[in-house]
Order: sequence, then structure tokens, then C-alpha cells
Amino acid sequence: MKIEEIIQPLQASLQYAYEIIEDSDSYGNKQLWLKLDDKRDVVNTARVVANLGGRCITATAYKTEDGHVIIYHLDVDGVIVNMEAHTTDNIIDSITPLLPSADWAEREFREMYGIEPIGHPHNERLFLDETIMKGVLNRYIPLSKIMLGVSESDILWERVEKESRA
Amino acid sequence: MSEKVTIGPFHPELEESVYFKLQANDNKVVTSVDLINGFIHRGMEALVTQKNFMQNLILTERVCSLCSNNHPFAYALAVEKIAGVEVPRRAEALRVVADEVKRSASSLFNLAMMSHLVHHHDLMKETMEARELMQDLKEIIWGNRMDMSANTLTGVKYDLDDDKIELILKTLEKFEPKLKSLTEQYEKDEKITNRTVGIGVLPKVDAQRLGVTGPVARGSGINNDVRVKAPYALYGELKPKVTLKDAGDVHARAMCRLGDTAEAVRMIKEVVSNLPEGPVVLEKRPHIPAGEATVRVEAPRGELIYYLKTDGTQKPVRMRWKVPTYTNWEALKVMILGNKVSDVTLIFNSIDPCISCTER
Repeated sequence: MKIEEIIQPLQASLQYAYEIIEDSDSYGNKQLWLKLDDKRDVVNTARVVANLGGRCITATAYKTEDGHVIIYHLDVDGVIVNMEAHTTDNIIDSITPLLPSADWAEREFREMYGIEPIGHPHNERLFLDETIMKGVLNRYIPLSKIMLGVSESDILWERVEKESRA
Repeated sequence: MSEKVTIGPFHPELEESVYFKLQANDNKVVTSVDLINGFIHRGMEALVTQKNFMQNLILTERVCSLCSNNHPFAYALAVEKIAGVEVPRRAEALRVVADEVKRSASSLFNLAMMSHLVHHHDLMKETMEARELMQDLKEIIWGNRMDMSANTLTGVKYDLDDDKIELILKTLEKFEPKLKSLTEQYEKDEKITNRTVGIGVLPKVDAQRLGVTGPVARGSGINNDVRVKAPYALYGELKPKVTLKDAGDVHARAMCRLGDTAEAVRMIKEVVSNLPEGPVVLEKRPHIPAGEATVRVEAPRGELIYYLKTDGTQKPVRMRWKVPTYTNWEALKVMILGNKVSDVTLIFNSIDPCISCTER
């Protein structure tokens, strides 16, 4: 599929401000970065991708000063569409009703970052037990730091390098 | 009358930990499926933000054993894209060789497990014997039977001289007739076909809906092989021929894996016979500026995607990866429903699950 065949329906469907950046790797594979100003356009984008026969590969979330960024990595016939949205209230409209392939990705960012995908058909946990609070990656402390206090230093790595030099 | 059946989380017929909660009727046919996962979640995506880029190369090799070549491969592609470097052609060729050897060994291991689950142990041994040739190659050339540690940032850590190329070609000469014989047996042997044809069917429409990839998708007639749809390394020139099946059952997925292996042999032969000259890695370690990249490769089980975000320091701000089992897993609910309880572990094996990768 030509990249224009994805861009045109997107432009026709998005209701708020956005930026589309075309990107390609050294092998000539094209992909899109769609940066949405308003997270309400997430569902509009998902609808376009669903209509084009696409799927959700996965979603990445990470913390910012005032909330979270969520990037949905979508695929339309071999072209990746990275849809980026920002949330300051820890909620986002779920795209799983439109793209069932987003099911696990949304459940995962719910339990790891505490971002609630509104309208997601499944409320049960994906990986972590119910007894572990939501948003665990927001306050993750490595076991090695708790036990040995080494994770913020290079002590172990330095030892490996020293041995390899010897 | 409905009966509750539980399998796992630890069970002799399960390769890795998962917990099935099934409902079965009087005929032992599954009427509802629930899967519980999370037994080996390690929080690796948080861990990688604590390590520098070279340390993460080593960490990605250890996400799981069966895909231990694909993770560092995809990770290296992501770093290289942000750094804006082009890898030497010889390194790209060597990356393909390592990847296809790994793919063959991985797929044959899954097929051996399948023949074990249908109690065809002669075929299991024959499959493992053929796989052993690939394992020997890994041991001799890369020094390890599982973690080949072939990739590094901007290239590879190994090279092939004439002796090693001859060894590869001679090994493939021995491997090819074994693979041909295995393909015929998996295709026709009644012990296999009676237990796998029409079992664990994933219709094309469900495969599309759930976004499955790899042999699971190809067994249901969907070709989303990354090597074809978005070729990387030398795959654009090698043009892998994809095996597509329409049946969507356990047998179709197995035949796709055998097709993948035959194609892997062809590509390895082609690459080592025409190995480009030049360095295998760039001399200077690249500066990794602030940026972000999404890259993907075709692992033995399907599409493996890496997202990397950097801020100009020596550690990633965020790194995420998604393995094929992550989406293929949900398809089990479609595949298992309506099948006998005794076929559940066989169907589970047919997606070639990799739970270490999935849960990270």
C-alpha cells in the first residue's frame, strides 16, 4: 500500500490539530509518526486503520512531567503508523472495540502505568496479580537496588570489564 | 453437565508456565477457555532504562533463549537508526546467516515437541537429530548452542572464513535430505495427520482480527512476514518465499515452519556463497543522540518490534518490545474452543509459545 493511501483518509478523519511525519529506514521502508494534539483523535485514527484492514502491533507508554505519552504502533499492510497521544488525567479512549489486536497492549499499560483505557472490554489483569497496585512501572525499584544497592552504579559491569582486560 | 479442567501453571506437557482454566462438557469438549499469565514477568522494560546501550545488548540476548538472536538484532537496528549509521554489507549478510540458522533450529524444536505431544517419538528423535546439525553449527561458529551473541551495535561479533563457510555448506548438504524426509513425514504420516489436521483451527477472519503474525498467521493464509512486507538487512535481495496455508489448523502451522526452514537453508547457502567483502563492524562506536525509532524483524515465531527513545545520554529513556506470542496467545481462545481437552497442550504448542519474551 502506498503511504498516501494511509495519509489521505487520516487527514479526512482527524478532528483536532496534528502533525504527520514521514520516516524511512536505510532499507527504504516507510513509516508514519502521527502526533496528535488531542487524545480524542486516537479513536478516529484507529477507525481509519481498521477500515484499511490494519492492526495494532502494540502500544508504548511512558511517564512525562504532567502525565503520560502513549504511542500506538499500528500496521497497515506493512507500513507502521506510530500514533502518539498525550494524557494528563490518566485516561484514554480504548481502541480495542475497533482493533481487537490492541487488547493486550491497553491492558498492559493500564496495569503498568495506571492509564485507564475507557471502554476496554476486559477488566481483568494481564500479567500482574490483583494485589499489586496499578501503575507499578511508575514506581519500579529494581530488586538488585533493594538487595545490594548496585543498580545505580557500574560495579558489576566494571568487574566484568576488568576481568576481560586481565 | 460441565466439568472444570485446569492445566498448569506447571505441567509436563507445557514448555513454559501458563494456567489454563477450561470448562468441558461430557464428551470432554472444551466449552470455555480462560488463560492466566504473568508467572514469569520480570519487569525487564524497567531494567533496560537502568543500563547503558552496550549493557542492553547483552540484556536483550537474555530475554529468552529461543529468540536470543532476534532481540539483539532488532535492538541494534533501533540504535543504529537513531544514530544514523549504516551497517557494513558483510555484517548484514552475517546477521542473516545467524538469524536463519537460529530460525531453523527453533522451528525444528517446536516440531519435535509437536511429535512428542502426539506420541510419535521416532519422528521426534529424527527431528531433534536434524536440529542437532544446526546446534552443532551454532556451537562451532558462535560458541554457544543457544545464545549465539552474533550481533553488536553497528555490526556483528563474528566472521566467516573459507573453512567455516565450507563447514556450513557441508552441514547443509547433510541437513537438506533430512529436512526433505521430515517434510514428507509431517505431511503424510497418519500418526501426525490424525492428531493435527482440523485441530485447533484459527479461521482467517479471526487471524486478521487478532493481528497474529508468523507461522500462526501464514497457517491461516495471511502473509505479514516482515522479511517480505518491510525487508531489512539483505532480505530485500534474498526475497524469501513464504509458505502460506489456508487450513488454519495445527498441521498447517507445522507445515509453514517446515517451509520456513527449507527457505532458511536456501538463503544461508546463497549468502555464504556470495559473502560481501569488507568489515563486519564499524570501527568507531556511534554517538547515540536524542531520538526515537520503531523497528521490526521476523523472529521464528513472527513479528518482533522494538521501540526505542533516547535523550542523548548513555541510557534509553524508554524501550519497549513486543514479541509474536503477545498477539498469538489471544488466538488460543479461538483455537482451543470446541476441541478435545486432550488436544489443548498440542494446540498450545502449535503457536510455538515463547512466554519469557511475552511477559518480559
